[in-house]
Amino acid sequence: MASRLLTALLIVTALGPAAADEPLRILSWGGAYERAQREALFQPFTEHTGIHVEVHRYDGGLTELRRAVDDEAAPWDVIDMTRSQAMAACDEGLLQTLSPDLAAPAPDGTPAERDFMPGAIGDCALTHTLFATVVAYRSDAFPGRRPTRIADLFDQRRFPGPRALQRTPAVNLEWALLATGVPHEELYRLLSTPRGLGLALERLDALEEIHWWEDGETPVRLLTEGEVVMASGYNGRFFDAMISRGAPIEILWDGQVQEHETWVIPRHADNPDTAREFIRFATSTERLVALARRIPYGPARASSAVRVGSHPQSGVDMRLHIPTHPLNAERAITKDETWYARTLTRMEDYFAEWLSARQARTGEASAPPAAADDQPVAP
Amino acid sequence: METTTAPTGSGPLPVLRFLGLVLLGAVIGGVAALFAAGFVRGVLWLNEVLLISPRSRMMFAWPEWLTLTTVAVPTLGGLIVGRLHRSLPERRPHTPADAIAAVQTRRGRLPTRAGAVSALTAMISLGAGASVGQYGPLVHMGATLGSLGARLLRLGRSDDNITIACGVAAAIATAFNAPLAGIVFAHEVVLRHYALRAFAPIAAAALVGHVIATQALAQGALFHVAETAVPRAWEFALFVAIGGLGALLAGGYMHAILGVGRLARRLPLRPDLHPALAGALLGMVALWVPDILGMGQETLRFATIAGAFGSGELLLVLGLKVAATALCLGMGFSGGVFSPALVIGTLFGALCGTLVAGLTGVSQESFVFYAVCGMVAVTAPVIGAPLTSLLIVFELTGNYALTTAALASVTLASPIAAQLFGRSLFDIQLRDRGLDLSSGRGQALLMDTRVIDYLTRECVTLSPDVSLDEAIATLARERHGESYLVDTQERFHGCVALAELEAARQEAGPLRRARECIDAERPTLRSDTTLWAAMALLEEVTGEALAVVDEGIFRGVVYEVHIAHAYLHQSDALRREEHGHG
Repeated sequence: MASRLLTALLIVTALGPAAADEPLRILSWGGAYERAQREALFQPFTEHTGIHVEVHRYDGGLTELRRAVDDEAAPWDVIDMTRSQAMAACDEGLLQTLSPDLAAPAPDGTPAERDFMPGAIGDCALTHTLFATVVAYRSDAFPGRRPTRIADLFDQRRFPGPRALQRTPAVNLEWALLATGVPHEELYRLLSTPRGLGLALERLDALEEIHWWEDGETPVRLLTEGEVVMASGYNGRFFDAMISRGAPIEILWDGQVQEHETWVIPRHADNPDTAREFIRFATSTERLVALARRIPYGPARASSAVRVGSHPQSGVDMRLHIPTHPLNAERAITKDETWYARTLTRMEDYFAEWLSARQARTGEASAPPAAADDQPVAP
Repeated sequence: METTTAPTGSGPLPVLRFLGLVLLGAVIGGVAALFAAGFVRGVLWLNEVLLISPRSRMMFAWPEWLTLTTVAVPTLGGLIVGRLHRSLPERRPHTPADAIAAVQTRRGRLPTRAGAVSALTAMISLGAGASVGQYGPLVHMGATLGSLGARLLRLGRSDDNITIACGVAAAIATAFNAPLAGIVFAHEVVLRHYALRAFAPIAAAALVGHVIATQALAQGALFHVAETAVPRAWEFALFVAIGGLGALLAGGYMHAILGVGRLARRLPLRPDLHPALAGALLGMVALWVPDILGMGQETLRFATIAGAFGSGELLLVLGLKVAATALCLGMGFSGGVFSPALVIGTLFGALCGTLVAGLTGVSQESFVFYAVCGMVAVTAPVIGAPLTSLLIVFELTGNYALTTAALASVTLASPIAAQLFGRSLFDIQLRDRGLDLSSGRGQALLMDTRVIDYLTRECVTLSPDVSLDEAIATLARERHGESYLVDTQERFHGCVALAELEAARQEAGPLRRARECIDAERPTLRSDTTLWAAMALLEEVTGEALAVVDEGIFRGVVYEVHIAHAYLHQSDALRREEHGHG
């Protein structure tokens, strides 16, 4: 995969009718994700409208966008952004507001606001897909049984063996508190109490051997090499290891933490009308299905999630692998991004304090990162 | 006195009238549910803004200011609440007890202004973190809206009672998202009888409330139980025992509230400042144990989780929560008793569960059963509603095993508490205000009616010094058998009967005075004597009428036949209301 920090320029040649004069410039994440987008979204858009699509590569930050908005000339028309970034950018006034009826209704006529999952339609951002942080386990580690609940991550009596967890409070605290039996809806309310926070850290502390990871490839490596039997990580990476490399791992969807990928239009974009046309096209039920057949990211629309079929090349049934499929999403955690925006520093302090106390006691160290990875931000 | 309210005949008109009442119930249910949803939302919003909810406290950017806000917010809230309560005639917020009294005495007609002020002060109390409940205010608000509907449509008292119950049912159905519990609560606590005529409108109201709750509120369940282990057989004996102990705790809780109320009356501080004082004390203790602030939903949740509290902590929080609630309610904050009772009961059940696990060494798989048993054991006696408590457990958890365990607990809790303390806190409060509901509605109704309503001056009054001959002549002329001796200053001397006068004339001659024949056995009434007391006197007296005398001054008489008629009339109205079916 080419470096994401490069702002490489890719021009997608239109196969259809003669292209319009001005291309649509889209900022996206590169790699396999962008390849899937090109097949499922960009090329069909050009065929449909005759408008060329230029793809620029995104580094995940807001610095460039801030500069561009200050100069009143945004070099892109549409950006593919995580929702938390989009919320911050929206608050800073870097984005255009989107009309609530921008998204098209479902094929059966269900209006978009009921078809999209809750929170998908924002002031400046429209969620198109979701990726998930999940727990994966070695399918050969527990003969005769397999983990079904997130609480099993913390049950080393029934599921013995070391774990790999991300060295952050996020996700780990949620899972630890869920494992004590609190309901999903009240997770962040209860995590806000000293008692809830204490219970979560206590539950984490009860795990005997934890390998702490920081970059997304490490848990996949630890799991495939058999150093740990359960690991947290990003669902796309685990999918890749399972399908392309045939690793003996399976995903535990219970307690998956979903994050939103959204489309936004920067302030001072040159072609806001084309940008809106593209977003409406790219978030239609049919296009989201096409995307989800190529990469295991969940469509934000219910009508798409139930229509996802098999991978065009390998024939793998993608429904089993996307986070928003009803079977997988039943007990998903919706990350409370507003809560994290305000409490992250404090949570990180609590977590660091707890972790250093634990490491002083157990001598655990962080797992070394996998071979230099070029995607520190993307899942 | 109003007459027929419930047509009992058949034919299209009564049916239409009845369907109209069901429709009215649904409308009242809808309105009450929307108000209830708005109330709940309002409290949540205030809790966020005023830094009461843990989430807002954790997200607050300047944690060092939290110490100040924790004390200041309940204090200022108390100040506002105390100020607003000065505008109420009774200087206290109205509660479900007022709704119960209105229905049980068939007065109906809940005052709208007092209801609105009480709802507002309850929202401020809850929003500012006072340790009070939200369901009581919701019930009273629903009742007030129901009564308002009946008044606007100029319906009779029986229909007013039904619409009050409709509002109550809708409020409970919305707040708990439990329509069956709403229907049963309205019957069990407010109406206290079962009539098909009332059932249909109440069911309609609860149903509409439920639909609105699922659409508009979409809040998480009050408690949440994943799949549970089935308790061991011997544990049911423990659940029954928890019920018995829980009844005692419920009694302690109720008497703590009433006791602080009595103490507060002797406090050398203006009554409208009492809530502010309570708020300040609450805030200061909350700096140390934040679990006692507000309704305590987070505390409730943790109490259902094994290991979230140590047993020492459970005891501490339990004691402080009882004290905090007694302080807030006794000192004049507006709010209910149910939500704190839920927390207290659940903490108590959790304590029992922890102790049992500690003593027997069994695993804590059935921990949540203990928590729920403790919960119903305390709440059912406090609100006087064992069936409602069970249904709330059932509708919120959908768990049959849990409901059975709760049943074991409530079996002992409710009767023990009723024997020792009273049917509910509401009944105890009403008894203190002079309305005894312990012998049912018939007695309450008669105790609420004064004999003065039946007073008449159409009787024979004579001077005490009149001669026997003249007295007999006057009575014969007026066709009466009795006369009342009243002097020129209107002072009452006694009652004389024609037969006695005649006997005295035969024995002693006509020159004797009438006052020598006074019937010393004949009791008198006062203008505030209740119909109930008058009925009791009639058991010992035969005669025409009883004199009504206030401090020696003769007011008039009440004929015995009128007392009997009033009794029959009241009974008949009750019978029609309670046994009518459309």
